[in-house]
Amino acid sequence: MAWEPKVASPRARLALTAAIYFSALVLAPLVAALAVLVARQGSAEATREVFFNIAKWARFVAYGATGVVLMVLAAGPLLRARLWLLGKGEVRWDRPWERAKVFFLYGLGQGRLPNDLYAGLMHLLIFWGWTYLFIGTLMLAFHDDIKEFLKGNVYLGYSLALDIAGLAATVGVLMALYRRYVWKHPKMRLGSLWDDGMLLALMLAILLSGFLVEGMRVGVTELRGETIDVGDGLVTDPDWAPWSPVGFLIGKAALAAGASQTLMLNIHKAFWWLHLPLALGWVAWVGYGKLSHILLGAANIFFRRLSPTGAALAGAALVPIEDFEKAERFGAGRLVDFTWKQLMDVDVCVRCGRCEAHCPAYNTGKELTPMGFLQDMKAYMGQVGPKMWAARWRGQSWDEERAVAGDVVSFNTIWDCLTCGACEQQCPFFIEHIQKLIDMRRYLVMEEARMPETAQATLMQLEQRGHPWRGTQLTRTSWIEELAAQGLQVPIFDGSQEYLYWVGCTGALVERNVQVTKAMARLLLQAGVSFGVLGAEEVCSGDPARRLGNEYLFQLQAQQNIETFKAKGVRKIVANCPHCFNVMKNEYPQLGGRFQVVHHTQLLAQLISEGRLRVQDMGELWGVMVTYHDPCYLARHNDVLAAPRQVIAATGAQLVEMGRHRKHTFCCGAGGGHMWVEESGGRRVNHVRTEEAASTPARLIAVACPFCLQMFEEGVGSVPTAAQKGMSVLDVAEMLERSVVRPEVRRQA
Amino acid sequence: MALHIVCCVKQVPDPETPPSQFRVDEAQKKVIPAPGIAPVPSQYDPIGVEAALRVRDALGDVKISVISMGPEAFRDAIKHCLAMGADEGYLIDDPALYEADHWVTAQVLAQAIKEKLSPFHLIIAGRQAVDWDMGVVGPTIAEILGLPCITIVKSVQVVDGKVRGERVLLDGFETVEAPLPAVVTVSNELGEPRYPQLRQIMMAARKQVTVWKAADLGLDVAQLKNRVNLEALYIPQVKVETEFIEGDTADEKVEKLLQRLREAKLI
Repeated sequence: MAWEPKVASPRARLALTAAIYFSALVLAPLVAALAVLVARQGSAEATREVFFNIAKWARFVAYGATGVVLMVLAAGPLLRARLWLLGKGEVRWDRPWERAKVFFLYGLGQGRLPNDLYAGLMHLLIFWGWTYLFIGTLMLAFHDDIKEFLKGNVYLGYSLALDIAGLAATVGVLMALYRRYVWKHPKMRLGSLWDDGMLLALMLAILLSGFLVEGMRVGVTELRGETIDVGDGLVTDPDWAPWSPVGFLIGKAALAAGASQTLMLNIHKAFWWLHLPLALGWVAWVGYGKLSHILLGAANIFFRRLSPTGAALAGAALVPIEDFEKAERFGAGRLVDFTWKQLMDVDVCVRCGRCEAHCPAYNTGKELTPMGFLQDMKAYMGQVGPKMWAARWRGQSWDEERAVAGDVVSFNTIWDCLTCGACEQQCPFFIEHIQKLIDMRRYLVMEEARMPETAQATLMQLEQRGHPWRGTQLTRTSWIEELAAQGLQVPIFDGSQEYLYWVGCTGALVERNVQVTKAMARLLLQAGVSFGVLGAEEVCSGDPARRLGNEYLFQLQAQQNIETFKAKGVRKIVANCPHCFNVMKNEYPQLGGRFQVVHHTQLLAQLISEGRLRVQDMGELWGVMVTYHDPCYLARHNDVLAAPRQVIAATGAQLVEMGRHRKHTFCCGAGGGHMWVEESGGRRVNHVRTEEAASTPARLIAVACPFCLQMFEEGVGSVPTAAQKGMSVLDVAEMLERSVVRPEVRRQA
Repeated sequence: MALHIVCCVKQVPDPETPPSQFRVDEAQKKVIPAPGIAPVPSQYDPIGVEAALRVRDALGDVKISVISMGPEAFRDAIKHCLAMGADEGYLIDDPALYEADHWVTAQVLAQAIKEKLSPFHLIIAGRQAVDWDMGVVGPTIAEILGLPCITIVKSVQVVDGKVRGERVLLDGFETVEAPLPAVVTVSNELGEPRYPQLRQIMMAARKQVTVWKAADLGLDVAQLKNRVNLEALYIPQVKVETEFIEGDTADEKVEKLLQRLREAKLI
């Protein structure tokens, strides 16, 4: 079950990323150039006979087989694409230049792989090794059939580069075999299928047979000790041999073992004829199974959802249901309710396990595993998809055998998701997990009214009262009245102010969070920021309704707020809830509400840098060790990483990071509407996270989200390691207030 | 023949209104609606509709009508019940009846059901409305119509022309059967009312709610007299007085405490 995934340090990830680009762009040409420079004059004639020791007609066999292989290869993706087209239409080819950039960085550049150092390095070695060997083979064909150019120093450099590539690939394959069969890495939880092992064995066989062929050739030609003619008038030179270092060693070893020339020629011929079908077989395989990720994974990255509002993840802005009156089905309950891209997503998953390793639901013992539900859908699609396609081809209707939402993908799986985005952040192929799960929630809620009791109570509460806090003793204006009673007037927004300060339901209606709201208001007043609040006119931003699958309610609430904003002339919004911030920044534009939205940490950081909030020297948090918990919707979904840290730094507190931080943060447990939905089992997510915070030397936990605040407040009381340390939790705004606002003013207010 | 169930529902001021927002006009003897806090369907009434829907789930051929008496705002409660799956909605909206007590309410509802909704087989009401908490309208309708009544049940079944209800008692449950037509009042032990499916919400939005005046029901408002007379309406003052019992030893403190409790006639 759950184990703590180690997140590689940013420095290590950077190093591996650099290595990827370095090897791709610099290393290989460098090696070739060096070879050319260093190679001695005497090697000007160096080259090799391409079909040495092989019948001349083999050329035609090779080309013929290649043609067949390419056809077999192409059939694979075409057959799969047929299944994706069972889904609904969706445009995924807008903004082609941006897509090309993404494709270059994350497809060719494999920008997501360094998150797992071992696997990343392993993949890097195999990928570039294999790529160079493939290019090398093409060059050889060009050289042999179109124009001879692999001669002299060029040939020697080429030979060296390919040997290095082959060696790299061999190391990579051995690393993979070790990881899969010796180490038995937890990410391989789903077990090895027949093709996992077959594939690695095949690749190893291709590499070793290739080296053996090279070794025998070098052994019987270049290494024979003197310049000799090996037929076709080619005179080889022993000095060329070290430029094929692996072949050189193998040839030397064979000679040392006393192998006869005939034996070596026979071995050469036998393995040449083994190497050819193995290599071609591998190429054909690229169209199928997990190897197809070479094509489909790359295509999937190209077709990723691009955010029009600059959100980092697809799941930050869910796709709206455009027309409820015309919608055939709300959300996705069956295969045909998903879009072609969603079905393609399902198909390209190669069970790498990165999503699962970072999923807070899975790692606390819930049913949900992002990789698992994709694989379940994939298996189901493979099983019924062809039948459905055939029926559609014949113009017949076909009832799917099972519902996807609630059957193929279990009820708990769908409801366990915290929409934290860890899976989407990790996935090397940019698979969009969250939208699928929310589409299934939409189906369950709006079509079948099936949801956990607590989710139902929350949605009823949101519908009837416009906020999720059942039983609150406060109103949206209580905190304003309390501050007024203490002599602080909080302005009501009337269109003349620069910022609308969006307090949010939690900031107004929950005692603990009201303290953050008050701190924020005092800071804004102190800095002389032109701002106002809506007071009783706020309605829930719609985030909980949307994440709980009631898209209809979301749109009602969002539209109501957008209308209020427009009527009042709102242009800039500052929110201290990352969920409100995200929904207003990335999702309101879908409904015509375009406002400039910032998170309170961003505004505070700006006020500090502008000198409008001055921190007292040696304030009360000076030198205090604090650990900062990145909220998912701030860090991962919206790339806000620096601002909260700047605010913390300004207080003079000393920041110590948890293992999982910044974009690799671990959800507090309250995302995706789960602030109000009971967990389905396992450990409580907030306890796991509080334990992680308690394992740092810090005694103070800084947060920047009202839900995280509540989750940690509960956690520090319930988790023994945190309780023993007497840990406390503060919002960064509260921290800043303690360092900026004079204590007597604070006590008075 | 189809079974016809009539559910009585009411819209009430939100019982979750924060106490600081709850105000009454003592002179007018009226509750002042809290600003910005919308009224909600009385908690037990959608449970009554849930009970009716469960009967329909079991039997299939069941028509469910929802009836309410009050101002236009009560339409929201009816719409909610229609979204849950009820078939038809009726509202008796007559300003002359806005001040009605339980007796007049029961009379009007009974008349409407008898005159306009016959034939009916089962009337379901919540055990009580959560504003005044009197819990008498349901049984009074039964009395007026001369029907058997099973109160405060946690399940409703219709079997062989009879209604069977499981009554919630302090020390257990009691199963009571009555011939149809009958009145049943339901309690929260029955379970959560179902969450409306979006299609039904959209259909409910399009459904017409039939509105009647007292005269439409053949009632003369002048003849309808409240039997309950509201003497005074005020928010009770809660006063807490704390007295510390002083003493040198624990025994002495206990002695003094007992003495004070006896004086206060608490023991």
